[in-house]
Amino acid sequence: MDKLNAHTLQALCSQLAAHPWGEEELNELVDPKLGVITGFQELLEELEVLRHVDLEFTAPAQGVQRKRKV
Amino acid sequence: MRDEELAFASISALSAGLASEDISSPTALTQFFLERSKRLNADCHAFIEITEQNALRDAERADNMHDTGLLHGIPFASKDLFDVAGVKTTAGSRVLADNTANSDATVIKRLRSAGAVSHGKLNLHEFAYGITGENAVYGTPVNAYDKTRLAGGSSSGSAAAVAFGLVPFTLGTDTGGSIRVPAALSGLVGLKPTFGRISRSGVFPYSWSLDHVGTITRTVADAALILQTIAGEDNDDPDSSNEPVDNYVAALEQSGNLNKLKIGVPRTFFFENADPEILAVTELAIDNLRAHGAQVIDVELPKMEHTRAVSLTVQMPEALSVHSRYLEDRGHLYSRDFRAGIALGQCLLAEHYIRAKRMMTRYRQQINTVFEKVDLLITPTTPTIAPRIGQPRITIGNNDEAIGNAITRYTSFFNMTGHPALTVPSGLHSQGLPMGVQIIGRYYEEAEVLLAGSALEEKFQIPKPSFHERYENVGEFVSAAEK
Repeated sequence: MDKLNAHTLQALCSQLAAHPWGEEELNELVDPKLGVITGFQELLEELEVLRHVDLEFTAPAQGVQRKRKV
Repeated sequence: MRDEELAFASISALSAGLASEDISSPTALTQFFLERSKRLNADCHAFIEITEQNALRDAERADNMHDTGLLHGIPFASKDLFDVAGVKTTAGSRVLADNTANSDATVIKRLRSAGAVSHGKLNLHEFAYGITGENAVYGTPVNAYDKTRLAGGSSSGSAAAVAFGLVPFTLGTDTGGSIRVPAALSGLVGLKPTFGRISRSGVFPYSWSLDHVGTITRTVADAALILQTIAGEDNDDPDSSNEPVDNYVAALEQSGNLNKLKIGVPRTFFFENADPEILAVTELAIDNLRAHGAQVIDVELPKMEHTRAVSLTVQMPEALSVHSRYLEDRGHLYSRDFRAGIALGQCLLAEHYIRAKRMMTRYRQQINTVFEKVDLLITPTTPTIAPRIGQPRITIGNNDEAIGNAITRYTSFFNMTGHPALTVPSGLHSQGLPMGVQIIGRYYEEAEVLLAGSALEEKFQIPKPSFHERYENVGEFVSAAEK
């Protein structure tokens, strides 16, 4: 996986239907300064690891059910 | 009751005071808390809006009610995500500064029907996005035990209001720890019930898959009483559960006897990279549960290394979808950090989101397997005491990390799994700040969680904050910190 840069995100947002993001927030994703979120690059790397986890046919999470004591 | 006793009394003590006429009427009680809130709010920034006229009108109605249930005439306040009819729901943002609610959220309706009196809307991290509770528009709620520290967030005002003695209980929301973290950092009891146990209708969403409504109180018994009142199916919330509501109040009558409970201690991850005093007091809590008759065993939970990534990958696209309707016209009114967060939601792929939700299912399956062996889990609530206002990172042991990652480390997993989780105070750190211990239970077994919490509460009584002398110049301090 190539390293992410702001131009990729700008192209993604301009060529696909997306909200109008400014340079400031897209730069924050590739070079985080505000400290609230992990950098996007690190997140993508983790998601790439997770892509190789075999989830078989596990369905997405929805509501929860009471589990009886065994 | 003296004023200080009144300000820090539990709901049951206030209710007894009203019943015995030691407190003359709901209106007198409301006036007392309103005056106190108006006096202290400039310093602590707990409230965004104190709805004085509405509160006095509701209190007067309570004066004339014949029903004398335990919540009759009891003041409360809600995080400014909950709709209260005729009052603005700002979500702590300029984006919704003109957003007046037409009707009460379901939980507000249930509390008011029980005679509780709404005193206003509480501060939060904008749209519940961050765990620090810092808010550039409405000010940053400070910690009642140390004015230089955070109350915690995102339900920052919900914790500060109870910790400063402005109301006896509050409502909050918890997406990754936003009730439990501020409750723990402020020396209070915070309850995040099972996903779907409490209606979210009329509560401004952040992330539908992870948001839970819950409470911040002084005591576990108060948490049980409020849960009893607001839990249950709601036709207006498609995610609310039709599972019968247990009698949580009666369950606490067995307090002191935990003979039937088996408690798991997940030492990997949940007992690592934490303040040694927090770990030590959690061990004391474990010993205390054992002394009450519980059987305690070590357990292994799923690997936690990617849980934050999974949570973010679910949160941010959902938050973007929530805010899609406002971005076009009001995008410039959002704070910079929140805009960056939802921009991240825009740039994730659909498969990332779906895979993250499938990982959530996997986590649920794995932890439910653990709950076949034990009834409850116990962990510290946070790995650190309240951070300083404005502090971006924290070092614990050899680990240097962003504040947001650090203080939700032990809580956010249980938003993904949806299990009920409670924090209770576990003592004061040598730096004079509260620490908390977290109890997690099976789905819909809040009664067992509360029972164990009650046993710990008896052991770990912490002194109320003595902020009067220390807060003389807090307004100036907070302004300086925010600059």
